[in-house]
Amino acid sequence: MKRTVPLMIVMVGGILMMVQYFIPHQYSQAVFTNYTQWAPIVGAFALILGVGSLTRVHSHKIRRKTKNWQYSWAVLIPLYGMPFLAIIWPQSLAGGMDSPSIFHFFFMHIQVPIQSTMFSLLAFYIASAAFRAFRAKSALATILLLAAVIVMIGQVPIGEIFGRWLPETGLWILRYPNLAAKRAIMLGVGFGILATNLKIIFGVERNWLGGAGK
Amino acid sequence: MRKNWIGIPALMILLLLPALSVAQGVDENLTPVDDNLSTVVTEDSIAATLTELQPVAEEQLEEPDPGLDVSGAITVLDKDNDAGDQLLVSFELPADTEGIYAYNVYRRIAGEEGEDAWNLVEVIPADKLPEFIDGYDPDYPISPGVLYEYRIASVTVDDEEFFGSICKAEVVPEGEIYHTGKTRVLIAGGLFMFLIFYYFGKAQKGTKMYLRPIAGIQAIDEAIGRATEMGKPILYVPGLSYIEDVATIASLTILGRVAKKIAQYQTPLMVPNRDPIVYTIADEVVKQAYLEAGRPDAYDPDSVFFLTTSQFAFVAGVNGLMMREKPATNFYLGMFWAESLLLAETGSLSGAIQIAGTDAVTQLPFFITTCDYTLIGEELYAASAYLGREPKQIGAVKGQDACKAIIMGFITLALALAIIDIAAGTHTLDWVRQVITMPIVD
Amino acid sequence: MSAVSKWEKMLNLDRRWIFLAIGIASIVPFLIGFGMPISTTAEVESIFDYVNGLDKDNAIFIGFDYAPGTQAENTPMGVAVLRHAFHNNVPVFITAYQPLGHGMALGALEYVTNPAIPGFYQSVSFEEWADLREAGITDKDELIASWESDGNALPEGAKGWVFEGRDFAMLGYAPVFSLVILGMTASIENQFPQDANGNPLIEMPMLREHKSLREVDLAFTTSGSSACRSWIVYGREKIGLPVAFGVTAVMATDYYPYIQSGQIIGQMGGLRGAAEYEVLLFENGITETTDKAFTGMDVQSAAHLLIILLIVMGNIAFFAGGFHKKTALKGRG
Repeated sequence: MKRTVPLMIVMVGGILMMVQYFIPHQYSQAVFTNYTQWAPIVGAFALILGVGSLTRVHSHKIRRKTKNWQYSWAVLIPLYGMPFLAIIWPQSLAGGMDSPSIFHFFFMHIQVPIQSTMFSLLAFYIASAAFRAFRAKSALATILLLAAVIVMIGQVPIGEIFGRWLPETGLWILRYPNLAAKRAIMLGVGFGILATNLKIIFGVERNWLGGAGK
Repeated sequence: MRKNWIGIPALMILLLLPALSVAQGVDENLTPVDDNLSTVVTEDSIAATLTELQPVAEEQLEEPDPGLDVSGAITVLDKDNDAGDQLLVSFELPADTEGIYAYNVYRRIAGEEGEDAWNLVEVIPADKLPEFIDGYDPDYPISPGVLYEYRIASVTVDDEEFFGSICKAEVVPEGEIYHTGKTRVLIAGGLFMFLIFYYFGKAQKGTKMYLRPIAGIQAIDEAIGRATEMGKPILYVPGLSYIEDVATIASLTILGRVAKKIAQYQTPLMVPNRDPIVYTIADEVVKQAYLEAGRPDAYDPDSVFFLTTSQFAFVAGVNGLMMREKPATNFYLGMFWAESLLLAETGSLSGAIQIAGTDAVTQLPFFITTCDYTLIGEELYAASAYLGREPKQIGAVKGQDACKAIIMGFITLALALAIIDIAAGTHTLDWVRQVITMPIVD
Repeated sequence: MSAVSKWEKMLNLDRRWIFLAIGIASIVPFLIGFGMPISTTAEVESIFDYVNGLDKDNAIFIGFDYAPGTQAENTPMGVAVLRHAFHNNVPVFITAYQPLGHGMALGALEYVTNPAIPGFYQSVSFEEWADLREAGITDKDELIASWESDGNALPEGAKGWVFEGRDFAMLGYAPVFSLVILGMTASIENQFPQDANGNPLIEMPMLREHKSLREVDLAFTTSGSSACRSWIVYGREKIGLPVAFGVTAVMATDYYPYIQSGQIIGQMGGLRGAAEYEVLLFENGITETTDKAFTGMDVQSAAHLLIILLIVMGNIAFFAGGFHKKTALKGRG
């Protein structure tokens, strides 16, 4: 019963949405509109569960004084502090989200630079990974390597010093061979999605409901 | 379709009649249809029209001024493939378009009286085609099953309006129960679904089906074993996308199987989540897996947790876990974006065995470079079948292959057509492409 | 020390040296600034030409659909299109797909309207021109004439006036944005009764003229994730809304199929794409200088060259050390 009811809901919901796609009638549209109104509400409740989970995990760490428990304060204080500053703190004391406010200050001067730093690590990691892994081990690997070098130089202004042919060749690689490979994988992925959806709708795949099934 | 066509001379007379009645102060009773011709929508324009027409009316016996010519018959058709909320409206242009800046199209529910009932639903510039789809304006929606009337005003550059006759639509908007534009999708979708179900059935009947071995999937057991031997935790990232992403669902199905094995070995597990809904499902999946493995006591409620919805804050959190907890095995299965290399390279730095799988094509090179095993594209979807070896699951993989074979057939056909087109100078492929890729727009 | 061990040492180079080299390659060109010329590609030119063909009767959406992490690449794209739209008096609805994108959108708008930055547009808040609006003056040319006749003078260095509610509306973030896009195909106001500053959309002239996405001429989405796909699924495929992308370089190759299929007008890929747009704005006299993306291209040139050098070094060590004859060497630093 615990699994049958959710499976029934999934099956009915799945088939309904599939059929709905082909029916433009107002009743069919009403079903879809209802769904679009429900989805954000469900999402909002899930966020409460998410924040609850984060709080529980880190309060456990603090209570049990597990390894590195101090970092948990760095999670919990901003987690509750930022909404407090944004909503509860009075505007007269630099509350709210709009500039100038404490929230805005933290957002612009802590969150934005930290996140930008995280993303910019990519440049360092790409260089490191390229050095370790990009080897001309075989004929195919050599072609891959050459293509990568052409695209990389072609994408930056310095590439044009070698002539227009280099950026043009880089673009050609992006527009044709890259596209062909991408489409091939996307087609496979598309069918994978279709099969997975059918398996879920018709109850063949039940693992997502919990457990590995029978 | 009834055509409410009135000749141009008749329209001129009709325009002049109300002006005459105002000028002479005579409250004449015109026919119901003609009643509204003299009236205009806004008070300003009423005044403007009256001011304009009064002297004309006084002088009309000597030198009549007909004003602007007005549009002819209005055609109203029910739009196909809609929810009964759109009408196709077109009208005949006036014979003399001189001085016309635009056409104002007004609509009201048939039978309603008074100027307030009219709503300006469209303004069509004089240089545009005299047709439009009515019902897009959210302020004046069209309701299914309601009969409407239209009238069109020729507008001068000074916003002065000259009305044509009222036309009652002959059709009422109705919603259709099948979108004819989606037949191609229905045929293709039906065919592919049939193939997948066919192989479901075939597999269930016991037909042996061969599945090419995938190293990444075979390595899962080994990776779990390694973590157990080392006494270190296992990190499982179910992607950064939402639950509606099928890659996430595929990842959660694999998580179920992986968690069951982990439960048997009693290895610690960490599952950080970026989406709250994915978190709740992942939590349930792991809990159930421990239950099925007969180890509900070993389940740690803190093993599955929500981190943050922010992309790079999530990466920072997971990378911090890797550097502090030093998991022996990292799984990255699901949808990843620009953060893929940040995660995998940090994992590589911490010395963990890494198994990745994603259908995000752009991220595959990063995973291939930094992980020990990578499931490419649809292999992620097939992983559950490989792990479970259930007949229906394997049948689904075979069904996918059959679908791909059809697409490959089409590609070969298109190639042949392209060659024939080049040789014969024809455009067959273009025609086929147009038919197949015609957009379906509501 | 044997030759082999020397190569092995080179292969196992501490990655912190690589990080240091990348750091230097990023900082030095930024400080010196070579200003190397950039040619433009068809993918970016098509967006520029399209926006250039729009005027005050049209309207566009600019979606700041990214988090602060990718702002270095995404913000210059949004800023460039915003400037272009302001120059051509095209009304702009500004949205964000995710909560943090809201701050990014605000930052971009502030950047374009900041008097301290050359080539700025002088912003007039919704309240400030309420009298003119109530008097029915909403046409841009009439509005400027009336506004200036009221004694307001365009500050020195400003490129023009932009009126909140007439030239731009900061709609910001709304939860489950893909469904918000879907809802906006019927009515923008239903999804955003108020803008981010609490101004009612119904009173905005730009909303009165463009009530739903069907009356909008372009959605330009700049993103570091697949958020931009939602504009295709719910905007382009449902109602035929023209869409253009600005995506990070890591994501750029993902979206070439959409260009070829004609589902998007064009795409700015990474900083290079943004720099190309800046060059086009400059060459067409829309801006007087190029901006941050163009400057950043020198850094990219140096970084790309360094990465190529590292790849070459890695291969030399790999072959010279004879590692290609051995079984796979899994470098773990």
